[in-house]
Amino acid sequence: MMMKKITLVDDEMHVLRIMRLSLEKQGYEVSTYSNGEEALAALKQGEHPDVLVTDIQMPRMTGEELCKNIRLEFPDRSFRIFVLTSRTEIEHRDWSASFDNLEFLEKPVSMRQLLIRLDSYFQSQKIPS
Amino acid sequence: MLIRHEKPGYIMVLASLLVMLLTAYLLFDYQRSDREQQAREQGLALARLISSMPWQQVVGQSGSKGLLDALSEGQNNPDFSYAQVIDKSGRVVKEVAARGIIVPDQPISIEPSSWIGQRLVDRKGQPGSADKGNGATDSEATSFIESHAPLFQDDQLKGFIKIGYRQPELQLSYAQLPFLATLTLPIFLLTPLFYYFLRQELKPLRKIGQSIDDISNGFLQQPLELQPNAELGQFMERFNQFIETTQAHIRKLDTEQNDLYMSSKLLSYKNSKVESILQTLPEAVLVIDKSGVVSYANQKVDSLLGKNSEEIMDKKPAEWCQSPELLKVMSGNYNKGSISTVSGSSLSGTASNSTKKYEVLTYPLFSPKDDSQLLGRLVVIRDVTEQFYERQRQGEFIAQIAHELKTPLNVLAMYSETLIDEELTSAEMRIEAANVIHDEVERLSTLIQNLLTISQYELGGLLIERQRVRMQEFLQDVFDTMAKSDRARTLNFEIDLPHEMGVAQIDKALMRIAINNLLSNAIKYNRPGGQVKLEARETDHALEISVSDDGYGISEQDQQHIFDKFFRSEDNHIREQTGHGLGLSLTRHIVLIHQGELTVSSEPGQGSLFKITLDKRPDNLVG
Repeated sequence: MMMKKITLVDDEMHVLRIMRLSLEKQGYEVSTYSNGEEALAALKQGEHPDVLVTDIQMPRMTGEELCKNIRLEFPDRSFRIFVLTSRTEIEHRDWSASFDNLEFLEKPVSMRQLLIRLDSYFQSQKIPS
Repeated sequence: MLIRHEKPGYIMVLASLLVMLLTAYLLFDYQRSDREQQAREQGLALARLISSMPWQQVVGQSGSKGLLDALSEGQNNPDFSYAQVIDKSGRVVKEVAARGIIVPDQPISIEPSSWIGQRLVDRKGQPGSADKGNGATDSEATSFIESHAPLFQDDQLKGFIKIGYRQPELQLSYAQLPFLATLTLPIFLLTPLFYYFLRQELKPLRKIGQSIDDISNGFLQQPLELQPNAELGQFMERFNQFIETTQAHIRKLDTEQNDLYMSSKLLSYKNSKVESILQTLPEAVLVIDKSGVVSYANQKVDSLLGKNSEEIMDKKPAEWCQSPELLKVMSGNYNKGSISTVSGSSLSGTASNSTKKYEVLTYPLFSPKDDSQLLGRLVVIRDVTEQFYERQRQGEFIAQIAHELKTPLNVLAMYSETLIDEELTSAEMRIEAANVIHDEVERLSTLIQNLLTISQYELGGLLIERQRVRMQEFLQDVFDTMAKSDRARTLNFEIDLPHEMGVAQIDKALMRIAINNLLSNAIKYNRPGGQVKLEARETDHALEISVSDDGYGISEQDQQHIFDKFFRSEDNHIREQTGHGLGLSLTRHIVLIHQGELTVSSEPGQGSLFKITLDKRPDNLVG
């Protein structure tokens, strides 16, 4: 079985580090970036994640901008994006409503919660194929 | 005036003269007609008397004195002129005449019906006659009253007797002058007396006239005092009543006028008060009447709408309003009030106002007397730009705070989970986790403290509690605490204090927050390996605490705003870092309530220097 690729985007170095550790331990292939700009650049250079986990409030390019850019530049890619937010999902509705591949996770996010979500996502992906 | 006043006098003199003349005339006329009557009666009586005598006796003997002579001599009537006997054929048989009189010879008809009669005959007098002495003869034409009667001799008509009297005329003789004088003198003397009494009688009338003049000139202050006398009494009384009524009316009118004046004063005062209130209002106030034109606008429309209040007066909004949005609000349903927010660009049409926000309130205006009668609408336009952006900033602030709070919480959540999961955790990992958790807790606590302090000063409740603080120890402690953080360890973090520092009267907790904020900014907005320095200097008058760095620096434009609450620079280096725009604002506030000064000097790319200067006055600082 191919290792699932997960791309993490967060400006908080400690968060990136602990998530990477946890996910790698679960057998995911993880790459990390500290803002949207870096992540977008990596995608353009051919990175093909199965899931992208991003923070919202980041310098240079926010999570919101990153999502919009991904849809704009890679309309044919349909990977799941988990958005970590310090606000409520409702507050992001105005821009997120048109996205069907977004899932919001409100901070503080427990690692266990994220792993369960990822699991159920990948399980749901398996069934049709 | 004198002429007018004395006119009655002149009239009276004239009238008395007329009366005198008339009296004299009537008197003489009576005298004349009396004499004429006498002449007529006497003549006829004499003619009859003689007619009864026989012819012979009347004619008498020629050469001797006859009856006629006797008649003439015995005559005492001065008007007697002549007596003549004529025969049937008219020939004069005998005649006697007064001196200077030529007897007229008017024939007498021999018809028996006219034998006895009286008639008036004219005869030219004989002027220039030498022996005339009688004044009566000086008239050129004389009329005579002639009486005639037949004379008989044995019942045979023999002739006629004619007796003539001069017709008396009006005449004034010297002899009559004293009589006349006696008659007229009393009249003449009575006139002034009468005039005097009349004037006395008329005096009240003149007084009345004067009073009326005074009243019309508005001088009369007290009721007219009149002593009414006899005839004028009632009139006076009525006149006094009239004056009293008039004065009462005048007083009433005066009072009413006064009241009116006062109330108009009051009204204009109230009016100007209302006007000044309307002008002082920070809002633009418009009144649009029922016909849809502006009937009032205060001066604020100038700054808010960019239109002079006179410019829009009496015009429909469509004629001057360039904002379709505002126009729609103003021309909406008159019966309902509304509140809407209109953005500035469309209000006055100028691009410079594009960021302005206005709140437009409309109210229906009803008549104060009848609240079902709609007079128009009141439009109040308020500049809510400040509030709008303030609200926006607060919204952003809350989002920012949520992020700032939740980010360390997130880290805490993840690391604490790691510690629980023993499989996952190596010994190094545990140590790392403990350190991270410590740092994040520190970060959270600083943030919460900042928030609490700022909300305290927002509410006006931030009080300074000065205490004696050894500055050297205090600054060293602040520095050491900050130096422990992860970020500080990547930098060249230094402290430079004088060997000896005094004791200062400061609020330790607040000053720690202020200096902490300056230090954490210097650390945050810096490159790895950059330099941050906390310094202190003490002079005779002041204590200076400065925080310098060689980081990104602050542009000149940003320097104007960095102390504003919620200000966040657009600079990318600054944007990269999380921040809430509170730190510097709070720091400045803390320095200010210490009666100190916070200054900044910076150049982009070169770094920044923030300096707190505290006045070293006895109540502030103790050396």
